[in-house]
Amino acid sequence: MAIFDYKVILDNLPFLMRGLITTFQLALIGISGGLALGILVGMARLSSRPYIYYPATLFVNFLRSIPLILVIFWFYFLVPIIAGRPLGDFLSASVAFIVFEASYFAEIIRAGIQSIPKGQMQAALSTGLDYKQTMRYIIIPQALRNMIPSLLTQSVIIFQDTSLAYVIGLKEFLRSASVVDAREVRSLELYTFVGIVYFIFCFTMSYFTKKWEAKKGMAR
Amino acid sequence: MIEIRNVSKWYGNFKVLDNINEVIQRNQVVVICGPSGSGKSTLCKCLNGLEDFQQGDIIIDGVSLKDPNTNLYKLRQKIGMVFQKFELYPHMTALENITLAPIKVKKMSRQEAEKKAMTLLERVGIPDQAHKYPGNLSGGQQQRVAIARALAMEPEIMLFDEPTSALDPEMIKEVLDVMIDLAKSGMTMVVVTHEMGFAKEVADEIIFMDQGRIVERATDKTFFSNPKTERAREFLNKILI
Repeated sequence: MAIFDYKVILDNLPFLMRGLITTFQLALIGISGGLALGILVGMARLSSRPYIYYPATLFVNFLRSIPLILVIFWFYFLVPIIAGRPLGDFLSASVAFIVFEASYFAEIIRAGIQSIPKGQMQAALSTGLDYKQTMRYIIIPQALRNMIPSLLTQSVIIFQDTSLAYVIGLKEFLRSASVVDAREVRSLELYTFVGIVYFIFCFTMSYFTKKWEAKKGMAR
Repeated sequence: MIEIRNVSKWYGNFKVLDNINEVIQRNQVVVICGPSGSGKSTLCKCLNGLEDFQQGDIIIDGVSLKDPNTNLYKLRQKIGMVFQKFELYPHMTALENITLAPIKVKKMSRQEAEKKAMTLLERVGIPDQAHKYPGNLSGGQQQRVAIARALAMEPEIMLFDEPTSALDPEMIKEVLDVMIDLAKSGMTMVVVTHEMGFAKEVADEIIFMDQGRIVERATDKTFFSNPKTERAREFLNKILI
């Protein structure tokens, strides 16, 4: 028996890849859903109306103060109660990620919107555009551009965070590896493989984020 | 056309506008000058509701800004504004900057809006810059695009908030020329500026403000040679070296 037997990885590759696909799906849902909800919450955080501002602020501060793993557990038990029937681990994990990541995205969005000079808002309003149109055509497109590095960084974090969904038994990438390990007892090989795959994806993403930032810095 | 009635405004305890009264007729050009912090820009931004005020009222063409039923968005369609720092949308070309409001607010077709925008760009002398982004235009060109953007909504009133203060000296003239042209075409204009040459040429009335108050108003050229108040004399000495 070799010290590092990569055959175990090749033998179980289809199963592991299914796990990786689940990880990607969950990350994608977390990123897109979290971003959509985050834009709404982030804008609500900038509202001058207290009944919009306070709930949004509470939402953000509450979720940013508790660990993600708790939120995953919580939704796993909460979603079936609200829905009236069990929805499965993937759906409840999706909801947990959307809600949790929205609180982080919301803060990025809020900061991004606040980074746009006040004059832009005034200029757009002065031409007769209403508040919604101003946000949609003037403020948000510019803010998003400034936010892209932070959004990409947060997306990398989400990609890594999806591994926490193993606690509710979701067969994402890490969980798949541990399932194989339980049968084959090849912890070193399997977890090293998992680590390398995570590293490649996250490092590549970070690399492009840095390049983007450098390019943007030069354009100024 | 514009009636300012007893308008006062505070930032916290600081009174920026102190009981301002003024009537501006249609086709009039009113120049507001005064030292920085005198409240002239604030007053200008109150006229289209970009800044709120606590006391008094402003009536534009019979519509009260303080009336809760007044639709400010609608009112702003007939009041164009030009800003000190241009405030063009950096993610849009000059042409897109000009066509956005006509397309989105007036529901004009893109084709029609672009045709109109080109006419306006010709009027301000830079039709060849239509497809450039603001970042690739000089300050003077940017400000002329900004004027075209405001004109695209066919406003009845144009507000200028220190339109040449952020420009290099050699670019001031090209912007002033456009403004003089506009004034002579009969546009109702409120212009916050220190360009006394402009004031001399087209202003029907000059308002001198200091510490939130209108200190002096003049309807003839005597303001420049012989101001009535000591404060205005001091100010003119400083800017006219």
